[in-house]
Parts: sequence; structure tokens; C-alpha cells
Amino acid sequence: MSSVVSDMHGARSEHARVKRMLPPVVRGLLWALIGFLVMNTLVSEVFDRMPYHPFITRASVTLGWVAAVGGWILGVGAWEGAVKPYLGYPEEWVVPQDWRKYFMYSTDHKVIGLQYIFSSLGGFLIAGFAAMLMRLELMKGQMWIFNNPGAYLSTVGVHGTVMMFSVGTVALVGGFGNYFIPLMIGANSTSFPRMSGVSQWLVPAGIATVVISPVLGQWTTGWRGYEPLAGQDPAGILFYYLGVFALTTSSLLVAINLTATILFKRAPGLTWNRIPMYAWGILAVSLLNLIWLPEIQMTFVMALLNAVIPLPYFAQIGSPLTYMEMFWLFGHPEVYIIVVPAFALWQEILPVMGQKSLFARQWGIIGLVFVMILSGLVWAHHMFTNMRNSQMLPFSFFTEMISIPTGFAYLVSLGTMWRANLKLNTPTLYTLMSMFNFLIGGVTGVLLADPVVNLQVHDSFFVVAHFHYTVIGAMVFSWFAAFFYWFPKLSGRMYNEFWGKVGAIWVFIAFNMTFGQFFFLGLHGMNRWVPVYPSYLEPMNFEVSLFAFLLGLGFVFNFLHIAWMWNKGPVAKDNPWQAKTLEWQTASPPGEQNFDPIPKVISGFYDYRDQRLPIRNSPQKEPTS
Amino acid sequence: MGDILAFTLVWILVSALGEIGIQSLIHHGVYYYTATTQALDGEAAFAFIITVLTPVFAFIVVMIGYDMIRFRSREPGMRPSPRQFYNNKVFVSIWILVSIALNLLFFVHPTASAVEQMFNSEKERYNRHDLIINVTARQWQWLFDYPQYNITQAQDANGNSILYLPVDRTVRFVLRSYDPMHMYDPYAGVIHSFWIPAFGVKQDIIPGETRYMYVHTNKVTSYNVDPMVRVQCAEVCGPGHPFMEAPVHVVSNVDFMNWIKQQQKLQAGQS
Repeated sequence: MSSVVSDMHGARSEHARVKRMLPPVVRGLLWALIGFLVMNTLVSEVFDRMPYHPFITRASVTLGWVAAVGGWILGVGAWEGAVKPYLGYPEEWVVPQDWRKYFMYSTDHKVIGLQYIFSSLGGFLIAGFAAMLMRLELMKGQMWIFNNPGAYLSTVGVHGTVMMFSVGTVALVGGFGNYFIPLMIGANSTSFPRMSGVSQWLVPAGIATVVISPVLGQWTTGWRGYEPLAGQDPAGILFYYLGVFALTTSSLLVAINLTATILFKRAPGLTWNRIPMYAWGILAVSLLNLIWLPEIQMTFVMALLNAVIPLPYFAQIGSPLTYMEMFWLFGHPEVYIIVVPAFALWQEILPVMGQKSLFARQWGIIGLVFVMILSGLVWAHHMFTNMRNSQMLPFSFFTEMISIPTGFAYLVSLGTMWRANLKLNTPTLYTLMSMFNFLIGGVTGVLLADPVVNLQVHDSFFVVAHFHYTVIGAMVFSWFAAFFYWFPKLSGRMYNEFWGKVGAIWVFIAFNMTFGQFFFLGLHGMNRWVPVYPSYLEPMNFEVSLFAFLLGLGFVFNFLHIAWMWNKGPVAKDNPWQAKTLEWQTASPPGEQNFDPIPKVISGFYDYRDQRLPIRNSPQKEPTS
Repeated sequence: MGDILAFTLVWILVSALGEIGIQSLIHHGVYYYTATTQALDGEAAFAFIITVLTPVFAFIVVMIGYDMIRFRSREPGMRPSPRQFYNNKVFVSIWILVSIALNLLFFVHPTASAVEQMFNSEKERYNRHDLIINVTARQWQWLFDYPQYNITQAQDANGNSILYLPVDRTVRFVLRSYDPMHMYDPYAGVIHSFWIPAFGVKQDIIPGETRYMYVHTNKVTSYNVDPMVRVQCAEVCGPGHPFMEAPVHVVSNVDFMNWIKQQQKLQAGQS
């Protein structure tokens, strides 16, 4: 779409060149600052003036934040790129075709995808650094890095929140989804490119909001921001609700955009029977996002009102458990929002690397869809410790049953690998590691679904280990699989196979040594959210921390490898894996137009009986195209 | 056929080795240290699930490993595998039936059976002679009252809250979250979670509600014997959360009555 803009030129682009402008990101920051100051001053000094109130009050910082995010979005380019054209003015947004295009509003899904990838990468590094601080603190049973438990708990909150809402739900959906879904379904753009361009810039805003939240005061609730405890916390919790609101809004817009794209922008011949597995995964995830994100956003609005006005919604005279119920009603589908794209990726990568037809494809799709449906029926297993007895069994039942559709991802993957010609390269290794890790996450999930066991291990490090196995173990490992699998497509270059494998084995060992031991810490009585714990747990915690640092270094090593080879790697062929899906049937990296002309799909993408391509670049014009 | 046979042999072998490992883990106690019948029930459920799941786990891990070694590509480029198939109705059917059967099994046992046992232990007719302990969770301290013995806020010599329990008794913990010592708002409470790791259960404490937790002690033990015999708040409740713990002593009936008398004397002296 950016090309459309630069094509329209003539006189206007000269005009645009003459009109000098700050770099968009800098202008966004400036407009955000102006927006905040103006709105904050209006609220705290004019509309809601109270004697002896400070300049920044809870009400003023909330509305000031809204103005700041508005200024930021407009400043990075939505003003010229989206608002003015909407009002009927000519579009005067010229995207330069160099590195600068990644630092401004854009409507090209590939630019947006990479922006999302970089944003989630930034979130991963920030939240990972917070995790390193936590593990440093936990090397000893007493406080020694942080000088008070509230600082530690705020760090826990920032770590969990940024990881979940800017990496877990974003990296494979907003990032790889935005980049690859149009390519995989044979389209040149997404359905709503302007909305998509705007939504990406909510991610850095959301991450920044959560990261600077301790400026307003500590918040001790962890990533759930849960009431009634949050009602006691200083104002830092406001920036938790607001930051997560920005991040979830971004994910919601991605969900709308990608759902519409998959439904309406498929190339001719790409029937429902031929939709690629990753697109199925993204479709399932987007439907989950569409259903559950508005629910949690409503909850956050309630919690925000509760904190700003203030109201006693969740205090003793209100309903103290309602927040937790609302949170987990969203919170468990959230887990599948994170892991369903990972399942889809296994089924995407293995047939290519095994050069063998996808096994039992329909069961893979049934698995993805039923995980999506059942995910809304399992959430209360987070609350066995506080629900009435009569509710336990149904939720326990569905939680156990969700392992059946989850297992179909394994059924398809294992069946595909059987008698394949499996290329044991870095993406394959990461995929298999992801399968192994999620298996441990799944087995311990069966244990957690059992109420009697749950009552012992809930809120202990056992649970922490379990969800790190599903989130890092399955999703982050699949994220790396995606990075290396699509590396030639994204960069046009090839990574180094040796160092790629070294990185994979490094993080695999460090990850399992870290979180494998978490299970035993939890069973031995280590509870969550504690910077201070009994001394008998100290030796194991000390040694776990060493492996955690090794894991952190391993991730940094992988990112350095990726960054280095992105610029210096040997030039790759357009389709180095001999894959059949559409994204490989065009140049690597793709030009401004993904496909010219739009290909016509004539068969499925997972048939490796021969080397015929599944498309016809029709010189004879088809009536549908 | 040869691959299937070889894989099956490896799978059986690894499952057997896995079972040996798992059984020795279970023998050492997956819960590390248990002091109530509830903990034993939970541990038994845990042990049953991991025992049954070991061959399933082994199946997938061995298959990943087998595929990696046996079906790896030995040439530099990409070449379609000479063996192509889309489906195997026998394999898919067995997979689906086994996964449904396993889940139904787990739902019946241990899920429903153990939950039934837990519900029964909470029924009033079984609990007529319970020791009742009123537990108050305040930010950030546990307070233990023994209403049957007119003891409020049982303390040790240093004034720290302490929990004494007789062995082989059913104990009913009555759990409330508020702050009797608060300067102006005793009902400003948050959610806590009452957890004694060695007792194998925990129960959240909700402000404004009264909740119950039942345990049946089965071992004379104390915090000094194993640090898992301690009360520990398991739900984050603010900056003081990690400090919300109290030592537990499970003692013989005679020792318990002695302790009661000592506490009563202490309280009489205070008033």
C-alpha cells in the first residue's frame, strides 16, 4: 500500500520533500508529551481542581495517558496516513524505502509485521531482564538485590505483564501473522491496512506504560493486576491497567484485520480445504481474541474506575472474587491464544522439513478449532482453591478433555515425521524441542486439572514451572523455529546452521534445567511471589538461578546470531526448503507487491508426492482473478 | 513393519525404565513430606497419574527421537521422502480412542474418586468432634484462636503466632480475612491463601466470607522436624506476603492438652 502512495506522485511528493518534518518517532514522543501535559493540566488544574491535590492525580494521569497515546499514534504518522485521508484530504504520507520505514506509520503488512516482531522482541528483552533480576534476588533467601518486597513484586508484575501481552499474544500473531498470513493466502495486503498501521504503534506505547508504571508507585499483584489487592496498591497499578489496555487493543485490531484477511482476501482457488495450517492457527487465535479481549478490557475499565473514583466493586462490601473470575475467564483462553499458533507452526514446518505430506490434516484442524472452543470452558481450574465444591468437577472434566484436541497437534506432527526425509536443521530442532517442552507442560497440566493435586501445587513454583513450559517451552521455542524457518524469507539471507544448532541446544538445556527444577521447588513448598523464603530452599534456588542466567545468555546469543546473519549471511535462494506454501512462491524477501499477478491455487500445499507447484501463475486470465 | 517393531521395542524399554524411575520417585514421596491423610490422598492421586502417563510420555518422546535418528535426511539438499501417505485410519483411531479412554479414566479416578473423598471428609456428620481453629488472616500475620478452649491468638514465648495441633484428630480451620488490629478499618482485607505444605491442601481466604478447610493429622511432627510443616500464605497479598508464615507443631494428645493449659495460663495472666 505504501507503493500506492509513492506512485501517486508528481508534484505532491516534491511538496512533501520540501515540508520538513521531525523523524516520526520523535514527533510522536513530542506530541505524546504535549498531549499528556495539556490533558493532565486541564483535568487536575481546571475540571477537577481540588485544594492541596498534587499536579498529577489518578484521574488526571489516566486521561493524560489517553491523550499521550493519541498524540503518539498521530505523531508517528496516523495523522497524515489515516486521519486526514479519512476526512477527505489527500494522503500526504511518503514512506521512504529504507530503514526509516520501520520507524513510522506504514500500511505495508510486511513492514507492520516486522515492526510487531521488533516490538515484541523489545518486550521480550525488557521482561527477560526483569526475570534475570528476579532470579538474582532469589539466589538468596533474604532480600539482597531489591531493598523491599514491593520492588520485587513490581518487577514480577512487569515481567509477567510484558511477556504475556507484548510477546506471548503478539510475537506469533501481530508479528509473524501480519507478515506471513497475506503471503500464505496469496494476497498483496491485509484487509484493513490503515487500522493495522495504527495498531502496531500501540505496542511500544503499552510496553512503555507498563515498564514505567513503578514511577507512579509499586504494584504488588503480579501480572493479573488482581483486585481487591490492587485497590490497596499505590497508583502504579493504573499504568498496569492502561498499558495492558493498549496492548490488548492492539491485539484486538490485529484479530479483526487478520480474520477479515483470511476470510476475504484468499487467492483464487485457495478454498477452505486448502487454507494453510498457520492460517488456520491464526484464524482460531483471532476468534479467541475477538471473543475474550473485550471481556478483559471491560474488566480493566471496571478496575480502573474502582481505582480512580474510587469505587468498592471488589472490596469486602463488593464482590472480592469477581475480578479474579473475570480475569481467568479471559486468562485461560489467553494461554491458548499463545500456544495455538505454536501448534500450527509445528504442522507448518514439519511437512516441509520432512518433505512429506501432512498426516491427518483434518484432525490437525479439528484440534486447533476444538482447543479454541473448549478453552472458554476450563478457566475456573485457576480457582479450585476458592470455588465451591460443586463447581470443581465440571471444570476439572473440561480441563482434562482439552488434552484430546491438544493431542491432535502431536498426532499430526508425529504422523508427518514417520518415514519422512527429515532435515535435522535449526527450525526442525526448535520444533521438536517445542513439542518435547509442551509435552511436559501438558502432562503437568493433567496433574493440575486434578482438584486434589491442584490444592497442593496451586500458587506454588510447580504452577510457575508448568506455565513457563507452555509459554517459553512451547511458544518461545516455536517463535525461534519460525525465526529460523522464515529467516531466508524475511532477510533474503541464510543463517549459520552450526551456530543455529548450538543456540538451540543451548537454550533447550538451560531452559529444562531451570524450569524442570521449578517443579521440585514447588513440590518442596516454594510458594510464588516471595523474595524471601525459608533457607532449606536456598541451595536449589541458587543453582536454578545459574541455569536461568545461562538461559538468558542463550536467548541473547540467538538474537545476536539472527541480527548478524540478517546483514552478513550468505544470500539465500527464494525457496531454500522446497516448500509448497504460497509465501515461498515469490521473491525472498518479497518485493513491495507480494505477488504480481496474484497466483491461482490449483492444489493443496502439503502434498509432497511430487515436486509440482500448487499454483499456476496464469498468463491466461482466469475470470475469478 | 520393521520400523514399527523396532519403535515398539524401544518404547517398551524406555517405558519400563521410566516406570522404574517414576516408582522410585514415588517411593521417596513426590510431596517430599506429608503429615495429614489429605496429603496422602493427594500424593496417591499424583502418583497414579504420573504412573499411567509415563508410557504415554515415553511414546511421544521415543517417537520424536526415533524419527530424528531413523528418518533423518542424509543428503545436503531437500528431497521429497519416497514414502508418502496422508492418513492411517488404524493409528488415528487408536490414538483418539486411547486419549478419550485415558481422560475418562483420569476423570473417574483419581479426579472424581479423590474429590468425593475430600467432600466426604468435609461433611458435618463426620466432623462432630473436630478441633475448631479460627484462623484470621490479616496483612500480614496469621492469628489462631481455639474457641473450644477460650484461647485467642495463640502465641509462643516471643509473641509470634503459633499453631499447635493434636495428632490423629480432624481439624476444622475456619478461615476469615480481616484485620482486628487495624487502626480504623478492620474490614479492609485482601485475598490470602492458607497453606501448610506438608498438609497437602490449601484454601483461599476471601474478605467478607467464611471458608473452611479440613485436615486429619496423622503424624507427630513440627516445623523443627521439617520446614514444610509451616503455615504459609500462598496468594500474593501485598509487600508483606513472604513474611506471612507461622510454625506448626503436631503433637500427642497429652502434649496438646499441656500446651492448651499453658496458653490458658498465659492468657489469664494477660487479662
